[in-house]
Amino acid sequence: MRPGHRSRSAALALAALVSFTAAGVFAPDALAQSGGTLVIGLDQEPPTLDPHASPSAVTYQIIGSVTENLLYRGSDGKLAPWLAESWQSARDGRSVTFKLRRDVKFHDGTPFNAEAVKLNFDRIVDPKFKAGGARAAFATYAGSKVLDEYTLQVNFETPFSPFLNLAASGPLSIVSPKAVRESGDQVHTRPVGTGPFMVTEYVAKDHTTMVRNPAYTRKAPWSDRTGPAHLDTIVWKFVPEAGTRVTTLESGETQAIYAIPAQSLPRLEQNTGLRIEKIPWPGAPRIWLLNTTKPPLDDVRVRRAINYAVDKDALLATVAKGIALKAFAPLTAVMLDDPALRQAYPFDQAKAAALLAESGWQPGAGGIRTKAGQRLEILLNAIDYGGGPEPAVQLIQSSLRDVGIDVKLKTQARPPWYEDNYRCATHGPVMFLRSIDPDGLFSLFHSSFVGGNFNWSCVKNAKLDQLLEQGRREFDPAKRRAIYLSIEKLALEEALTVPLLDDLSVWAYRANVQGAKYNFNAYPVLSDVTIRR
Amino acid sequence: MLTYLGRRFLAVIPVLFGVTLAVFSMLFLVPGDPVKMMLAEFVTTPDQIEQMRAQLHLDEPILKQYGRFVGNALRGDLGTSIRSRRAVSTEIGENVGSTAQLALASMAVAVAIGVPLGLMAALLRNSWFDAGSMIVALLGVSMPSFWLGLLMIVAFSLHLGWFPATGGGDLWHLVLPSVTLGMIASAIIARLTRSSMLEVLGQDYVRTARAKGLAWWGVVVRHALKNALIPVITIFGLQFGNLLAGAVIVETVFSRPGLGRLIVGGILAKDFPLVQGTVLFVATAYVMINVLVDIAYAFVDPRIRFG
Repeated sequence: MRPGHRSRSAALALAALVSFTAAGVFAPDALAQSGGTLVIGLDQEPPTLDPHASPSAVTYQIIGSVTENLLYRGSDGKLAPWLAESWQSARDGRSVTFKLRRDVKFHDGTPFNAEAVKLNFDRIVDPKFKAGGARAAFATYAGSKVLDEYTLQVNFETPFSPFLNLAASGPLSIVSPKAVRESGDQVHTRPVGTGPFMVTEYVAKDHTTMVRNPAYTRKAPWSDRTGPAHLDTIVWKFVPEAGTRVTTLESGETQAIYAIPAQSLPRLEQNTGLRIEKIPWPGAPRIWLLNTTKPPLDDVRVRRAINYAVDKDALLATVAKGIALKAFAPLTAVMLDDPALRQAYPFDQAKAAALLAESGWQPGAGGIRTKAGQRLEILLNAIDYGGGPEPAVQLIQSSLRDVGIDVKLKTQARPPWYEDNYRCATHGPVMFLRSIDPDGLFSLFHSSFVGGNFNWSCVKNAKLDQLLEQGRREFDPAKRRAIYLSIEKLALEEALTVPLLDDLSVWAYRANVQGAKYNFNAYPVLSDVTIRR
Repeated sequence: MLTYLGRRFLAVIPVLFGVTLAVFSMLFLVPGDPVKMMLAEFVTTPDQIEQMRAQLHLDEPILKQYGRFVGNALRGDLGTSIRSRRAVSTEIGENVGSTAQLALASMAVAVAIGVPLGLMAALLRNSWFDAGSMIVALLGVSMPSFWLGLLMIVAFSLHLGWFPATGGGDLWHLVLPSVTLGMIASAIIARLTRSSMLEVLGQDYVRTARAKGLAWWGVVVRHALKNALIPVITIFGLQFGNLLAGAVIVETVFSRPGLGRLIVGGILAKDFPLVQGTVLFVATAYVMINVLVDIAYAFVDPRIRFG
């Protein structure tokens, strides 16, 4: 799980959204050309390629076809077997038993078995190791038990249903225990997995190279064919400057790039030699966490008024054209979508005004409302990236001014921005959270996370706590959905947040590059990719 | 001469002391709790934050922390990067070569363009060439390197397809970044060469040399230019600092490995040990290069040694 707050704006009609299914249309095997090198330009260098150590999405974008997981969660959201052939959760919810495949070897020849998986999980909780995003999945881990060579039981102190989805996420992918033991520092640059590609080279601040694993004879869960990947080689180049990255795609120096800057999107979309693919992110959308403890936001009517008053269509049309959808709830639509959530807060300035009047805020001088001689001022915590706060925040400011709320921006560097969030010192920040399981809401709304990451609404609500804990105990998908729907409804009713934008993961390809697919995390899996010459 | 050298090196000690102090206090001058910043990307409870604080010795008295920092730095231990978990000295080692390559190549470009341009402008004073070259130099001084870099990429990579836009490694990849950085530095060198040359050309010994009947070019190159370049050498040392600063931007625009990108990445990731270590290294390198320039200066101009 990973929070974010980077501004991504762009331009283009939403109709052009290419869903994964459309993007996945590709030639039958007979026509597909094997071989070739795909060069992909990324916006960042990963801090490490070790899936267990990384806190960063870019790691998993790169190794999505290098390391594999026990389970796979595809773009349809369904769990499928991967390195595990089947799985069974215990009736008390405190353990999950995985039956593993018997025909798998790591890239270094180490056999894959229950012992290897146990070593992986034990590594993540080892305090000396300092895990990254993976650690949160094992908050209540009570060890793994090897039942036989290919059967593993993973135990928890308390029932922990999010584990199934988390077992299908990049941070819990399985690496060779031998490589971990013996490769020293290289563990960060040469992850040794079981997947269709193998990392062979890493040049810091420049690129990393992976080649086809010829021994991959299985059917990858995203693929409809058996056998090794089509491409010979994939080179991931780290090109932080957006203008440069776009130019490399246009000149052919790269055949694909990630993170398209807003101003370049229309140009790239008009270029018939290129193709844009947009994938929805799981987790929490770009969202304003309203600090419920600081007046006047301690009044739920004011918080609701803000939800009615923010013009999301304007946000979409101006700062997020083509790179986001409208957000309705604390989880993105791909996580949980329901008409009740979509209808919660339509843009309605009259309703906002009525709610503010009801809570005693009357129109005052200069169009700003007042109550008992006090102006209606809200302090929004914003990060300055060098060019001022993100545009979305400025748009909120003008939206709320229309209903008589004076939003002041506390634009500051990231460190004091975090500090203010921990201390609940402002009326809250705009942020987003990447999470494959709806349990991501736990860190957002559970009272134990006030003062830490990320309960920056500073909410302590017994009902919410209880529902969030219940979500962790429930294994039945339908019942889980109902629980998280009630959590979202409660969050909306209490107006703990202002959902703003569902960001999309935007990739651009040369038109002759076909067959990229994406897992539920919105990370690419590339074994079916071909390059037509 | 030895006294001069000795004095120069002794003067370095307080400077480096100041550098360590500045770099160390960075951690405390930046608002916000460093530990919380480092953990900012993770789901954390207040307990975990305190654990991390103890692991990094940030719960110790400040003086003790400073002593540890300087002591470790003297042993070459610049700490471990929070983000990559590798030794900061290893990361510097991986990147220093690329930046040195870029700095030297762009310095060569700067000299190759700047000195002849300044020289010609001084010799053809008040001509259209003089005016034209100084306008170009003014543009060069005022041109932001990221903008020039992007122009270079659009022209020579996208449209002409002569050079790759990104990456490090061979000389081919070095052309666009070093020309970008060198052109900007050349503007300063051209202006300085011109003014220094004009001053020297007005000196008595130049007139004497001409009066003796020496060939005009001989006077210019052997008498005038040699003396005119003394202040230009000084500016090399100072320009080196500018080149490092420019490298921060140019390395990012051209996606080249290097110290500049290392620092930028460290700052963005709130990776304090990495930023501290790299800044300390770069500052020390800058100080040492200026000492070397001072020494070179003394060799070229004997008045410095005895003055």
